[in-house]
Amino acid sequence: MKRVWIALTAVLLTFATFQFVLLQSGWAVERGEAEETARLLAKLLDAGRSVIEQNQLLIDDRHKGNKGFTPEVFEQQLIQEFRQQTGIDLSKVHSMPASVTLPPTAKELLFDLVLASKEVVSDAQVVINQRGIGYKNFIPATYGSQAAARFSKQSHIRLKQTALHPRNPKNEPDDYEASVLKRLSGLPRAEEYVSELIDHGQTLHVVMPIYYVTACLTCHGEPKGDLDISGYPKEGHLEGDLAGAITVMTPLTVGGVNR
Amino acid sequence: MRARDPHSPSQWLLGLILLLSLGTNGCGLIYDVVQRVVPIPTDELDSICDRHRVQIGMATEPFLPFVFPAIWTDEGARITGLDVEVVKYITSALSQHCESPVTPVLHLVRFQDLFTLLNEGQLDLFVSTVAANTPSPSRAGFAYSIPYFYNGDISGIAYRKEIVERVRANLRAEEENPPPDGLLANERALAGLTIAVQKLTTSHLYAEANLTANRLVLCDSLPAAFEFADAATDPAIDVILGAEPVLGFMVSRVRKDWQLLTLNTGAPLFLTRDQFSVVMAEDSYRLRWFVDNVLFKLDKSGKLVELRKRWLEEQYAFPRRAAAEGLPFDVEKMVTHYDQGTCRVEPAH
Repeated sequence: MKRVWIALTAVLLTFATFQFVLLQSGWAVERGEAEETARLLAKLLDAGRSVIEQNQLLIDDRHKGNKGFTPEVFEQQLIQEFRQQTGIDLSKVHSMPASVTLPPTAKELLFDLVLASKEVVSDAQVVINQRGIGYKNFIPATYGSQAAARFSKQSHIRLKQTALHPRNPKNEPDDYEASVLKRLSGLPRAEEYVSELIDHGQTLHVVMPIYYVTACLTCHGEPKGDLDISGYPKEGHLEGDLAGAITVMTPLTVGGVNR
Repeated sequence: MRARDPHSPSQWLLGLILLLSLGTNGCGLIYDVVQRVVPIPTDELDSICDRHRVQIGMATEPFLPFVFPAIWTDEGARITGLDVEVVKYITSALSQHCESPVTPVLHLVRFQDLFTLLNEGQLDLFVSTVAANTPSPSRAGFAYSIPYFYNGDISGIAYRKEIVERVRANLRAEEENPPPDGLLANERALAGLTIAVQKLTTSHLYAEANLTANRLVLCDSLPAAFEFADAATDPAIDVILGAEPVLGFMVSRVRKDWQLLTLNTGAPLFLTRDQFSVVMAEDSYRLRWFVDNVLFKLDKSGKLVELRKRWLEEQYAFPRRAAAEGLPFDVEKMVTHYDQGTCRVEPAH
């Protein structure tokens, strides 16, 4: 009987040790994967914002009814923009060269975000295609808010646009985001992102800064205090100033991404 | 007051009892008994409560600041304006009455289609700067609430200064040599001018009835009238007629290159008096009383004056208000690739 107990204890100890080692290694790998996935999601949302920005004149053209800026056209441009920014061609994910590594979890999530973004452009068609109306408020920020909200609703990942002084109160930063933004606002422009485990290691929070480019300054530039076309007071920003961030919150389990 | 499930088994039972009672004497008594147990919608107000929705029409052509163009916000596509706020008051009162939330389902359609959809029973009501007192066959067969906006009078705007001066000169001449028929005064003030109006609005109906000597340009919308005028297409538009609060808002905030036609005293030239009302089906008696009561309360409490100030006098940007307080609309009913349209010259009378 004693032998049986010893054998059983040994088996249990071996199993526990094996599990511990496995989970430790699993943790490191999964966090890295989650981090890369978060970075790519933020990049994709930013790419969508850029596509809207590039088409702003077309969208606001009062003389044109059907703008031809369909969800499909948007998707093509989005994929192209994302490829330029990351080197990843979402249209050829299955035949990508080995040099381009895409985390397994990222593939599905990126497609989900493309889908959510297309839905936003699809729903906005009635607004975009009005002829005789110029400014329609379909701008990078409003596109981004909706795309992020739709994606987050369908996923366990929370995608959000934020800024220290956002125009949309729903985009207020949480304490962590505010601290990162404050830190970044004093630093020169960087393409890096900030990643940290929060909630006692339960959640991965990735903050990717976004910076003002020339096109943004029509509404966010100078003279400070003057009303822009949408009626908000201009912030008086300059090109290269920190505009805000795209943040991605991914819940983690000990075993990795909690899907 | 009531909380009913329209699909409850008791409704089916009620139907069966009613069917059986058709062949019996005293079915009225049975009906009364059943009605006590499961009230059947007897009028349009009950029907709204049952649906938990009120079908509301609004013009897709902008009538600033009453109806702004549909825009995109952080919350999706939204519509805002004074008329939208009136809709919100009515809906809120309906929710109170029904003792459960009533959602406004907004249908953005062409102005001229609002009347058709109401006639077909697809709308419970519509709100789009419609004057209650326009004498025209096209406005017959509908019911108009008490006004939610007073002084929606018809006036005109012009781009060219010489037109404004010409109208003033005509008015001066009339003061010096009053015409035998004083009613012709307005007609003479605008004599010889090419006038643009939005199709089927009160300004169109007014012009058709009273400005018979003028050349009329019929436009699908106010933006179309501006576009036609900007393009300097022959004939050039001298004056755009419309509701003064809309035109005044346009020239003070959007098209500052245009100006209101004024009397020699500097006061605006008004052609007729108008008040904006909610439009409903003629036989919607309970709904009509209900809307009238809501508007009366708003008027008595000073809310209508506040509304007027808020939308006509305050400085604001409509995208902000659309995002914060605008209403979503039924995209399916909205015309795809909505076009603010164009203008065409009416053959001479």
